[in-house]
Amino acid sequence: MQDTADQNQETSLAMKFSISKDKLVEGVNHVMKAVSSRTTIPILTGIKINAGLDGITLTGSDSDVSIKAYIPLEEDDEEYVSIEKPGSIVLQARVFSDIVKKLPSDTVNIEADSRLITRITSGSSEFNLNGLDPEEYPRLPQIEEENIITIKTDLLKHLIRQTVFAVSTSETRPVLTGVNWNIQNGKLDCVATDSHRLASRSVAVESAENATYRNIVIPGKSLNELSKILDDNSGEAVSIVITESQILFKAKNLQFFSRLLDGNYPDTDRLIPNESKTDIVISTKGFLQAIDRASLLAKEERNNVVKFRTLSGEVEISSQSPELGRVFENVQAEEIKGEELKISFSAKYMMDALSKVDSQDIRISFTGAMRPFLIRPVGDDGILMLILPVRTY
Amino acid sequence: MGIIRKLDEPLANKIAAGEVVERPASIVKELVENALDAEASAIQVDVEEGGLTKIKITDNGHGFAEDDCDIAFERHATSKISEENDLFHIKTLGFRGEALPSIASVSHLELKTCTGEEAGTHLVLQGGHIIQSGHTASRRGTEITVSNLFFNTPARLKHLKTVHTELGKISDIMNKLALSYPEVRFGLTHNEKPVFQTNGKGDLRQVLAAIYGMQTAKASLQVRDESLDFQVRGLLVKPEVTRAGRQYVYIFINGRYIRNYPIFNAIMAGYHTLLPIGRYPIAVLHIEMDPTLIDVNVHPAKLEARISKEKELCQLIEQAVRETFHQEQLIPSVQKRDRKESVLKPEQQQLDFDQSHAGFPEKKERKIERQKNATAVSPPVIEEPAAKYDQHRDNQEQPDQEWDETIEQAFHSPESSSPVDKAERMPRVYPIGQMHGTYILAQNENGLYIIDQHAAQERIKYEFYREKVGETAKEVQELLVPMTFEFTPSEYTTIGEYEDYLKQIGLAFEPFGQHSYIIRSHPQWFPNGKEKETIEDIVGQLLENRHISIKKLREELAIMMSCKKSIKANRYLRADEIDALLKQLKEAEDPFTCPHGRPVIVHFSTYEMEKLFKRVM
Repeated sequence: MQDTADQNQETSLAMKFSISKDKLVEGVNHVMKAVSSRTTIPILTGIKINAGLDGITLTGSDSDVSIKAYIPLEEDDEEYVSIEKPGSIVLQARVFSDIVKKLPSDTVNIEADSRLITRITSGSSEFNLNGLDPEEYPRLPQIEEENIITIKTDLLKHLIRQTVFAVSTSETRPVLTGVNWNIQNGKLDCVATDSHRLASRSVAVESAENATYRNIVIPGKSLNELSKILDDNSGEAVSIVITESQILFKAKNLQFFSRLLDGNYPDTDRLIPNESKTDIVISTKGFLQAIDRASLLAKEERNNVVKFRTLSGEVEISSQSPELGRVFENVQAEEIKGEELKISFSAKYMMDALSKVDSQDIRISFTGAMRPFLIRPVGDDGILMLILPVRTY
Repeated sequence: MGIIRKLDEPLANKIAAGEVVERPASIVKELVENALDAEASAIQVDVEEGGLTKIKITDNGHGFAEDDCDIAFERHATSKISEENDLFHIKTLGFRGEALPSIASVSHLELKTCTGEEAGTHLVLQGGHIIQSGHTASRRGTEITVSNLFFNTPARLKHLKTVHTELGKISDIMNKLALSYPEVRFGLTHNEKPVFQTNGKGDLRQVLAAIYGMQTAKASLQVRDESLDFQVRGLLVKPEVTRAGRQYVYIFINGRYIRNYPIFNAIMAGYHTLLPIGRYPIAVLHIEMDPTLIDVNVHPAKLEARISKEKELCQLIEQAVRETFHQEQLIPSVQKRDRKESVLKPEQQQLDFDQSHAGFPEKKERKIERQKNATAVSPPVIEEPAAKYDQHRDNQEQPDQEWDETIEQAFHSPESSSPVDKAERMPRVYPIGQMHGTYILAQNENGLYIIDQHAAQERIKYEFYREKVGETAKEVQELLVPMTFEFTPSEYTTIGEYEDYLKQIGLAFEPFGQHSYIIRSHPQWFPNGKEKETIEDIVGQLLENRHISIKKLREELAIMMSCKKSIKANRYLRADEIDALLKQLKEAEDPFTCPHGRPVIVHFSTYEMEKLFKRVM
C-alpha cells in the first residue's frame, strides 16, 4: 500500500521505529568515536541510522576508522526496538548525540520522511532535524570473513595498551604512526616505535593453522578508539578479519573497521640487542616513582632528561635544571651485574614504558651509554620495551 | 613706534626655502618637476656627494628666453598660471613660483638655457643674487647646476644626514618621478657612476623593472578601470612579492605623486586576504581626473591633495584591484620561469574528460526517482552530455569501485554547476597523494602542485563564514544598567542623522544630556564582555564610511571560525577526502591564499623539474 502512496504523496514516511533510550545512547556513544568534526566530506560529520528488519544499525566513519553499532530487536528476552517502517537516514552526529542523551523518556521514537526531515520524539519533547541523504553516505568496505582470528577482549585491550603508546604522532613517516602486527603459528607479535623507543608484545591467538599475516600496520589512533569502546567485563572474544587494506574487529553488536597503513614497516628485530654488558633487576614501582620525582626538575628542560648511574647494590637517579636546582635519589636494586654504567635518558619514555609493565620487578639490560637498552618484566618474555639513550656532553 | 616691518626679499626667500628646500632631494624634485613642466623628454640628473657638493640637472625642454631669465629668480614668478582661476585647474606640477628663487637663495646656482631659437643664456647666482650673466651655446633645453647647498644657512646644513641617506632620498624621488612619467627618459648618476636609467618608452613595466628588477616587473599585472570622473591605470605586483613597508605603493594623481591614506586603504582592501599580515604590496597607480576635482595647494611639498568625490574614487580603485586579481592565477612558482617560457606559445587545445565523470546509469535513475519522491523544488540536473561518454568509458577501462564512489560524490555536491570563468582560475589538478599528513601533491600537464591542506580548507570555510557572520539574528538583549556614550558635537549630530539606520541593526541611540547617547539594549550576537567596544566600532565605521557592514565588523570572527573548523596539518586524508577538498577549492572565489594571506598552493612547472634533473640545460 505504501509503495503506491509514495509515488503520489508529497511527503511520505521513509523510516519509523522506536527504541530504548539507553541502548540508543550506548550505540551512539560507540559510533561517535569514529565521527570527526573536521572533514572535507560534509556527510561524514553525520551518523547513519539504518532500521532493518532485525534491528537498528548505527554507522560513523572518518578517514581512519568506521564503526557499526548494532541494536537487536530483543536481547535476553528484553525488547529494545520495534520497527514500523525500515529505512535509513543520516543525522548530524554532534547534535544527534547531544539530543538523545538528554531526552526525557525511556523510549525514543524516530521517524524520517522522504524530504529527509527527521522527527525525534520522547515523552513530551519533539525535535525536527534536517537529515542528509543516506544514499550519499560512503559504503563501508566489504570484508570476506575467512581466516578469522580470535582473541580475548581483555587480552586485546592489554596488548593495545602496551604497544600503542610508542607509535609516532607525526605523519612524517606515516608507517610509524601504526602498530605492526605479525601473525604466525598461532602467535601474534605487535611492535610499535617512533624511532626513539620501541614497544613489543607477543600473545597467543586462535587462528587457522597456517594463517600467516605479515606487515599488518594498524593506525595507533584506531587502536586507541577500539580499546575505548571494547567492553572490559564482557569476557567474550573479539574476532579479527584482515584484508589487504582493512582490518575488521567484531565484538558483540559491534563492528570496528580500520584502514591499514601503506608501506613497509621497518625490520625491528635486528634493532634489539642480543647481549648485554650491565644487567639490573629492580622493583618496577620504586623505579617508576623515583624517575617521576626526578623528572619534576627535568620538565623545564627541553628533553626531560634524567641521569642514571649504577652504584654497588643500588642505582642513582639524578636530574638538574640550571634555574630550579638538582635532585638525587638512590634506589635499591635487586641485582646488578656487569660493568659500571652512566647513562641519560628521557624520563617520559622511561615512565611510559614502566607504567605499561604489570609485573613486580623488571630487568633492564644495557650495552653501553650510547646503545639502546631493554626493559623486560621478570618472568614474562612476551613484553619488551626498548629506549634509546640521550647523548649528553 | 611700530615694531612690525616688512621683511626684505632675500630674507623672505630664505624663509620660503625652509619649506621648499629641505634637503638635496627637494631640489632634485623641484627642478625635475620644472623640467617635466617644460615638456622635456629626457632628463639627466648628476649628483655628487649625495647632492651636497653638486646637483646638475639637464633637460631638453622648452628652455628660458633671455628676458625670462632675469625675472625667473623673483619670488612668485611663474609661467605656469596667470590668473586666479588657473589655481583651480592646475595641470602642471609646479605653480607657486617659489622653487627657483628658494633654491637660488641658499646655494650657488648656475643656469644655462636656450629655447633653441636664439642664443643661449648663462647666469651665475650666489645666494639669490645674479653675479654674472652672459651667453652660451644654443642647445635647446636647460642645464641647472646647484652647488654649495645651504652655504648660508648653517642650521640646515648641520641637519643633513649622511651622503648615503641623502642619495637614497634622491633616488626615491627619481623613482617616483620615473614611475609617474614612463614616457620620459630619466637618468641618475652619483659621483659619475650610474644609479638608474629608464628608457622613456612609455612602458610602466619597464620602469618598474629598472627600479625593482625583472622578477618583480614580471610578477606585475596591469590594472585599468574608469568611471565618469576618474581613470585608473597602473601595475599591481602579485602578492607573491611583498614588502614590509607601505612606501612601495605609489599613487599618482594627474602625474603628481600624492600621499593619500584613503586611496592607500582602498588598494589594500583590494588586496584583502591576499597578503600575509604586516606585509604590503608593490603597486603603481595612476589616477587621471579633471584638475577641478583636486586641490593640490594644501601641502608645502604638494604631497597631499584634497580630492572631491574621494569615496567614489576609492570604491573604483578597490574594485579595480580586486577584479584584477580575481581574473588571475596567483599560484607562486617555486622558481621564476625562464624567459623562454614566458613567451606565449600557441596552445594545443585538448578534450576535457571531466565531463565524462558526470553520472552513471544507476546513479542517474536513482537521482531522478529521488526527485519524484521529494518535493522537487530543485531544477532537474542536466545530465544529457554524460550519457554519450558512458559507452566510451566502458570500452576503455574497467571502472573500479572506489573511483566511482568519488565521482558520485563529486557529482552530487550542489556546487558542481558553477560558472565557467571561476573554474578556470584554479587549474584542474589530479592528486598524487599526501606528504607528511600536511601537503597534498597533485599534478597536471603543467607540472607539480603542492597544496597546504589546512590553508586550503581554511579558505573554503572562510568564504562560507564570511557571508554567514553577516546574517545576524534580530534578537536584542535588554540591559539592566544602560550604557552611555559621549561624543563630540559633530559625531553627536551624525549619529542623530543615522538614528533609523542604527535602529535597523538593533541599536537604539537615545539622546541623553549634552552630546551623549544612552543604549538600553543591544543585539544578541555582540560578543560577551565586548558590547561597548562593538558599539564603538560600529559608530566608528558609521562616522568614517557613513555605512555599516556587519560582515566587515565580524570578519575576524569568520577567520577564526574557518581556522578552527578546518582539518589540521599532520592528519591523514583518504583519496576521496583529497578529491573532495580539491573540488571545493576549485569552487572557491579566491583559491590561492588563506584568509591570513598565506599561499594555499605552489607550483613546480614541468620545465623547472626538467631543469633540476638536467634533462634540459
